[in-house]
Amino acid sequence: MQFIFNNKIKAVLAVLMLLGVVSSVFAFLDHASHGQRFWSNFLIDGFFVFSLGLGALFFLALQYATEAAWSVLLKRVFEATALFIPVGAVLIIIALLSGTLHLSHTYHWMLEGIMQKGHENYDAIIAGKAGYLNQPFFWLRTLVYLGTFIAFVYIFRKRSLLEEVASYKGSVKLSAIFLVLFGVFSSTLSWDWIMSIDTHWFSTLFGWYVFAGFWCSALIFMLVLTVALKMQGLLPNVNDSHIHDLSKWVFALSFLWSYVWFAQFMLIWYSDIPEEVTYYQERFGHYKVLMLGVFAVNFILPMILLMSRDAKRNYTRIIWVSSIIFVGHWLDVFLMITPGTLHEKGQVSFVEIGMFLGFVALFVWVVLQNLSKAPLEIQNHPFKEESEHHHF
Amino acid sequence: MGHISHNNFREPLILGEKSYHDVTVDICAPIERKPNMLWASLLSLAAIIAVWGIGNILYLLGTGIGSWGLNNTVDWAWDITNFVWWVGIGHAGTLISAVLLLFRQRWRMAINRSAEAMTIFAVVMAATFPAIHAGRYWLLYFVFPLPNQFGSLWQNFNSPLLWDVFAISTYFSVSLVFWYIGLIPDFATIRDRIKSPTAKRVYSLLAFGWSGRAKHWHRFEMVSLILAGLATPLVFSVHSIVSMDFATSVIPGWHTTIFPPYFVAGAVFSGFAMVLTLMLIMRKVYKLEAYITRGHVEMMNIIIIVTGSLVGVAYLTELFVAWYSGVEYESYAFLNRATGPYWWAYWSMMTCNVISPQLFWIKKLRTNLIFTFIISIFVNIGMWFERFVIIVTSLHRGHLPSTWSYFYPTFVDIGVYIGTIGIFFVLFLLYAKYFPVLPIAEVKTILKATAEKFKVSDNQPKK
Amino acid sequence: MKKETIIYAFYNDDDVLLKDAQAFVSQGLWVSDVFSPFPIHGLDPIIGVKESKLGYAAFAYGLIGLTLALLGMWYFMIHDWPMNIGGKPNFEFVYNLPAFVPVAFEFTVLCTAHGLAFTYFCANGTFPGVKADNPDPRTTDDLFAMEIKLEDNPNFSLDQIKSMLSKSNASEIREKQNCETDTCCNK
Repeated sequence: MQFIFNNKIKAVLAVLMLLGVVSSVFAFLDHASHGQRFWSNFLIDGFFVFSLGLGALFFLALQYATEAAWSVLLKRVFEATALFIPVGAVLIIIALLSGTLHLSHTYHWMLEGIMQKGHENYDAIIAGKAGYLNQPFFWLRTLVYLGTFIAFVYIFRKRSLLEEVASYKGSVKLSAIFLVLFGVFSSTLSWDWIMSIDTHWFSTLFGWYVFAGFWCSALIFMLVLTVALKMQGLLPNVNDSHIHDLSKWVFALSFLWSYVWFAQFMLIWYSDIPEEVTYYQERFGHYKVLMLGVFAVNFILPMILLMSRDAKRNYTRIIWVSSIIFVGHWLDVFLMITPGTLHEKGQVSFVEIGMFLGFVALFVWVVLQNLSKAPLEIQNHPFKEESEHHHF
Repeated sequence: MGHISHNNFREPLILGEKSYHDVTVDICAPIERKPNMLWASLLSLAAIIAVWGIGNILYLLGTGIGSWGLNNTVDWAWDITNFVWWVGIGHAGTLISAVLLLFRQRWRMAINRSAEAMTIFAVVMAATFPAIHAGRYWLLYFVFPLPNQFGSLWQNFNSPLLWDVFAISTYFSVSLVFWYIGLIPDFATIRDRIKSPTAKRVYSLLAFGWSGRAKHWHRFEMVSLILAGLATPLVFSVHSIVSMDFATSVIPGWHTTIFPPYFVAGAVFSGFAMVLTLMLIMRKVYKLEAYITRGHVEMMNIIIIVTGSLVGVAYLTELFVAWYSGVEYESYAFLNRATGPYWWAYWSMMTCNVISPQLFWIKKLRTNLIFTFIISIFVNIGMWFERFVIIVTSLHRGHLPSTWSYFYPTFVDIGVYIGTIGIFFVLFLLYAKYFPVLPIAEVKTILKATAEKFKVSDNQPKK
Repeated sequence: MKKETIIYAFYNDDDVLLKDAQAFVSQGLWVSDVFSPFPIHGLDPIIGVKESKLGYAAFAYGLIGLTLALLGMWYFMIHDWPMNIGGKPNFEFVYNLPAFVPVAFEFTVLCTAHGLAFTYFCANGTFPGVKADNPDPRTTDDLFAMEIKLEDNPNFSLDQIKSMLSKSNASEIREKQNCETDTCCNK
């Protein structure tokens, strides 16, 4: 069975992307911020959609490493989502280049002369970080991360399309290597691309916090995509137990994200030391409603509405709850980046929503394109039968 | 779950040709036969150590905390180190029963019963330390918000130490209930088999009149699932709260945001190490090789690699961010850990926790039982050092050089610690003799699907 | 105990029992219960075991626990004796809330788990000292027993049921009378 990426879907996505382009122009022309509003949103949306692909790649590797059987029938969905990474990498590179070329002021430490003693912009604390936060090393790291992810996503896909038991066994071994690299890179990339925006600030938990967020968003997206395909009559062998398990992942990861969010916030709130607490003062000062709202929505909504067994199999409910928390996790990324780049001037208005929709449409376009390139059904896999008999 | 045709790719979880009856006989055998010499001598040894430990505790209670090696600067040392070490060990049981259920890992069934027992005994040992170091232990009830005559003076609910009281007591009692509900059907099996009338009476009482009705099994599975769902966030919360004893403070080396998840990873790591230590002995002594296979050991070793690496990433993150932060106290605290007077503790921790588990990447080593046993001991030691490093090295340098100091344990410090290990082993050995060490009913549910060969029982009435 | 006649059909294998139960139910014979050494998956819908409501009970206990914990902490810390401890003044509940989350969570879990366990024991009627009523000691080992009550099946006579069972794959069939008092019972 093949997924056909028809013109009707294409048209809808094209309209949304056009909306994204129009919004981008408006953001760029925003006088108050000198184009910064555009670049902030570019990083927010670019990172958000990139991290959806990365979350999918991680989850795919996790299925290999744990030799999980239940998810075998959903492999194509995971792969298609992960295959967004090459496109996402381009978006990340553009966003970062804007800083290096001084088109934007996203990264405080990239400011002219900030590490030069005697310069008017000199900042002693930031200068102390020069060993890590310097352009050549920064770009080297970025290119290593992106190169690694792109290589692994293509290798996993290629081996998976071979439909051989031997290639599966190889993927299991490769997944272990990937997970080790990912374990380090997922933390360092969040420090590099996001934590260094608020250059003075630091939090040891930050990497795992970003990771918990995008792991959850990726699962939300893949759950909705699976349910949508199932409703179209594609994926005939996928049953309610598979959907249940995916919903359970969304439920559990929502908990994980909330736990990490709270752990980071509570410890900084409790000890109240000036080096750290500024981060939350900025956020609670200007973005209080959003801060509390995002936590409440991303924690309470899945907890109450996806708790029961029936809810995890109810397609309508899955779709609307997922859609809300998907936006919630986007807002979480928004709150990581905006206060450090636009300070009190950040807002969520038509421009932000338009750009968000445009980027998501691009993401969905690429994912569906990849989905249509391979048969949805798995032909030959050691756990195919086990996955088909997944009932509980 | 349905019956799955045998898959050549998966290794069988139960070796040999087993019938349902064989499972019952194999697991009940240690309970039904007379205690052997090995068990009796191990129990005696553990009991001697336990008695010595209890003596030390009594001496401590009689004399006061001054008999520990604490001083003005290092005013928290082995007591809290041992507490955190034991709580950490007590995390594997619930993880195996609850989190591995979420991941649908069926191999957990071979080890969950003993891991949960270990959890409960470890938590009891952990709770001993705050209890005995409270000083005026006769006022211990005051950790709970009971109406009182002190002008209705209440506990400070802002204090992480009080959170700990709630976390540990909840964790202990919920784990106990979870474990016991799972034990009831197995007690019923023993009740219906055992010959001695006294034992029969005792197991009847323990089995709560369980008769294995379909309705009861339905509720049993429902309750197990809900309790597993509750235990998963619980297990995260407990060690997170333990970590907050340190992380909510402003002491460099204690206050860092990664503490909660990193303590959880460390707890799982040390818990699995202790499970390995115990199970490797148990499978040999009780001849459970068919149920706790090399495959099981390998799986546990993989979890050791994962959690050990997580802990390693956390160490490096702390180290890096201490430098990156540009806060000089923070940077000094970590530099001092690695190169100061406690360098030996730091590098013992690094060697045992981060480097030694990496050897498990080699398949030959992670399927070698003797090697696994050695590494599991290494990890147990390393995780004790981790807590010691966090607690003592962060304290031993005050802000003024006049408060710089060094900690020397006294014989009471050592005696109480070694003593709790003795008490723990007494409890565990008693459990291993009188309780079913594998979940009999649960193992039967996976017998057809995962055994090497399923045998129809020969213990049946003739038609 | 009212007078009733119970017929037990014993099986060696859970899958055989499952097949026969399906066959009996489709012929209109009502199987009142099954005794087994472990849960048999797929049996519940066949013999009409209703989905347990324990999940809702657990949720209710959780809500009670959460409410009690928050109310308690509000009373102890904010209302009855507010104090300024380490720069964290207890004068307003909302501003103290992050510090109340851990205890609130633990207490919720505590109440849920213990409430649920107690309800479970009550629903099953299993307590220390209760006598077990499985028809054969081996049903906790490797024997599976189907329980059929004559009074539940007015359309069948005792002999009809017995002949149905003897034609099935059951390895043994036993009959038991329950009378007004326990003393007159016989096998």
